[in-house]
Amino acid sequence: MNLKLVWLIVAGAGLVWAVVASTGTPPPDALREMFSGAFGSPQGWRETLKESTPLLVLGASVFLALKAGLFNIGADGQFVVGGLAAAVVGLRVTGPGGVVLGTLAACLAGSAWALLPGWIKAYRGGHEVITTIMMNNVGRLATTALAAGVLRAPGQQNAETPLLDASTTLPNVVQDGAFRLNWAFFIGLVAVVVTALFFSRTVAGFETAATGSNSRASLFAGIDVRRTTLAAMLVSGAVAGLAGALQVFAVKHQFNADFSPGYGFDALGVALLAAGQAWFVIPSALLFGALARGTSALSIMGVPKGLNGVLLGLVVLVFAAVRYRKEAANG
Amino acid sequence: MDAVTQNFGSVRALDSVGLEVQKGTVHALLGENGAGKTTLMRVLYGALQPQSGKVFLDGVETTLRSPAEALRHGIGMVSQHYAIIPELTALDNLMLGAEGGAILDRKAARARAQSLADSMGFQFDWDAAAAELGPAGAQKLEILKLLWREVDVMILDEPTAMLSPEDADALYASLRGLADQGRTVIVVTHRLSEVTAHCDHVTILRQGKNVTDFPVGAKSQHETAELIVGKALSPSAARSCRPGEVLLETVRLDVRGDRGDVAVRQVDLGLRAGEVVGVAGVDGSGQRELVQALLGVRPVLSGAIRLVGSDITRSSARQRIALGLRGIPEDRHEEGVIDDHDLVTNATLGHQRLAAFRRGPVLDRAASRALAGKVATMFETKHSHLGQKMKELSGGNQQRFVNARALAHEAKVLVAFQPVRGLDIEATRRVYAALGEFADQGGAALVVSFDLDELLEFCDRIVVMHSGHLASPPTGHERDRTMIGAMMVGTA
Repeated sequence: MNLKLVWLIVAGAGLVWAVVASTGTPPPDALREMFSGAFGSPQGWRETLKESTPLLVLGASVFLALKAGLFNIGADGQFVVGGLAAAVVGLRVTGPGGVVLGTLAACLAGSAWALLPGWIKAYRGGHEVITTIMMNNVGRLATTALAAGVLRAPGQQNAETPLLDASTTLPNVVQDGAFRLNWAFFIGLVAVVVTALFFSRTVAGFETAATGSNSRASLFAGIDVRRTTLAAMLVSGAVAGLAGALQVFAVKHQFNADFSPGYGFDALGVALLAAGQAWFVIPSALLFGALARGTSALSIMGVPKGLNGVLLGLVVLVFAAVRYRKEAANG
Repeated sequence: MDAVTQNFGSVRALDSVGLEVQKGTVHALLGENGAGKTTLMRVLYGALQPQSGKVFLDGVETTLRSPAEALRHGIGMVSQHYAIIPELTALDNLMLGAEGGAILDRKAARARAQSLADSMGFQFDWDAAAAELGPAGAQKLEILKLLWREVDVMILDEPTAMLSPEDADALYASLRGLADQGRTVIVVTHRLSEVTAHCDHVTILRQGKNVTDFPVGAKSQHETAELIVGKALSPSAARSCRPGEVLLETVRLDVRGDRGDVAVRQVDLGLRAGEVVGVAGVDGSGQRELVQALLGVRPVLSGAIRLVGSDITRSSARQRIALGLRGIPEDRHEEGVIDDHDLVTNATLGHQRLAAFRRGPVLDRAASRALAGKVATMFETKHSHLGQKMKELSGGNQQRFVNARALAHEAKVLVAFQPVRGLDIEATRRVYAALGEFADQGGAALVVSFDLDELLEFCDRIVVMHSGHLASPPTGHERDRTMIGAMMVGTA
């Protein structure tokens, strides 16, 4: 049994090895470079934590929905509309008030983007995967159109809004040489902690997890399954919107057409890797962040950046094989 | 089978068990929950590899490494959970997995299916979705699936648990037909009256050991029951029932079934404090819809439901729970428990909004744990610790847990659907004793069962459901088995 597990991990490592080798770089050098790129320098740490921040929050968002039995593929779209809402508010209301209001607006926008899929799922039985994918497309295209149109910065060719006033941003907690750590990272940690406590301590969390695991039994236990489903989707959307706001106020200081490089989709991997334990979203997001940073460091050695996606995919695959093998063995 | 031993971790589920079954007989395998019946059968059809022991088929030692291999040797099993895909037609379900080639020949298949069904005296609408089969139909389809695969040794686990007395008799008649053709049938069951009436030979397992084998008729039912539990049976205490005020009442209740038909028609029910009332009836007579409407998970079409004086016709399940209504759902797997959650969570399930188990929006985990401990001990649910996942418990132990949960906290009225399904004699007595005690302390219980003998033995009063209508037996025939049986099929 355990031997099989070892083989699985060896096979996974072998695949990683083969993928890296296929790029023409000797794998040991590449892996060393990746590791030192992510953790070997203050800049490395800075970038790793910066990449991990949206993954933490979006990981919490997807995790929440997953616990309720919903596969929220729409986190990316909710993230993008949240980012746009935050930027729009932040451009009109300056100062810390703008950050707070912008964050609220982002949460509402994320929720609004999840409303239709949540309602269709809860009251009409339509599958959330299909509807959230649709909402992703609408969200991406609509926000790009706005950023290229009415919201475009004066005199700019690219589809992007003006930059926020420096007072309307989230400050760094630590700024030491090349190292920076923004408050957004801690807000991300808090989001995960709150998610974990919600499920382990609250009645609403209990009912949400029950609904996700067995909706029929939940019905007999006096749980309003439809309302719980809709609420879970709305909260998941709000958290994804929060991630968008953090990205605007801490990193981008504006909204632009390439706002998300696919964070919402990476977050699916983050949440899956957490395997039902909210706390595991933290190491899982850090791993994804480090891989993203490590592979972009590798690009200096001539390795294409797309390697990141391949490696993440392999991590999730090997993990899924391990996890579901266990479940199959349990019957 | 000879000297079969099976350990699960440190637990010895089978201890050098031998079993000899004659070709062409109907052989009953009896024993309490956890005696090793199902484990032994899983070894026989290849789902488990025993640590030691051998299987002989027609005198030849045979190794069965998987159910597929067992099937090739002509051994097949119908388990308690039917393996039927509801969306497929009856014919497609029959063929599934044994299509006999890459290209389907439905015409030939239908002809073969029809001749198999004819030989058994079954009737099927081959093109109808399997979802429309009742439990009896599903059971028959499962048997046909084994015949389709040319099985010689057929194992049936609790085949009559969901069937009415007539359907059960019909089933045994067809099993007898199979035995007469030279096939062998092994039945795992708890119903001794069936064994006496329909089987040839009996083997009793107790605590993983083969206690005794004997031909049917060599021992009385009472002796058999004592051999199963390993001690003298406690006499079922006769209860003196003194009905009090009406706790649960329905007035001209109409409820729709899943197919839009009116499944419960004009039902007037009055359940009084101190009563354990049994609802007899053939499966599909509206019991399911009645129970679901009472528990608040199925809308009421017209009429009213009152619980302890308040009108709950439109109340949510949560409000009903708060008023003291508890349920034991029909399908404990789908409706009663959450397999992936631990015993603490499962004990709390349904109670989570009650004041005793939370402080404001926060769960009171100590209270949940205390409740789980109480639930697990009430009917001696076998478990290793409260953090154990529900799916690691055997079906019987899950049922004990669900039954105990319903009675554990501030229950006033209990609505139960087959609460002793799959439970052994001793556990059945314990559960009904607890129901009696619950009633004596001012509670009231409504119990739906398809086993009329069980209701006659344990309930204070019996009402009968037939095609959606609820009726009481006429005065003087309150416990008349023949009369009630006739009412069940609508010929009274």
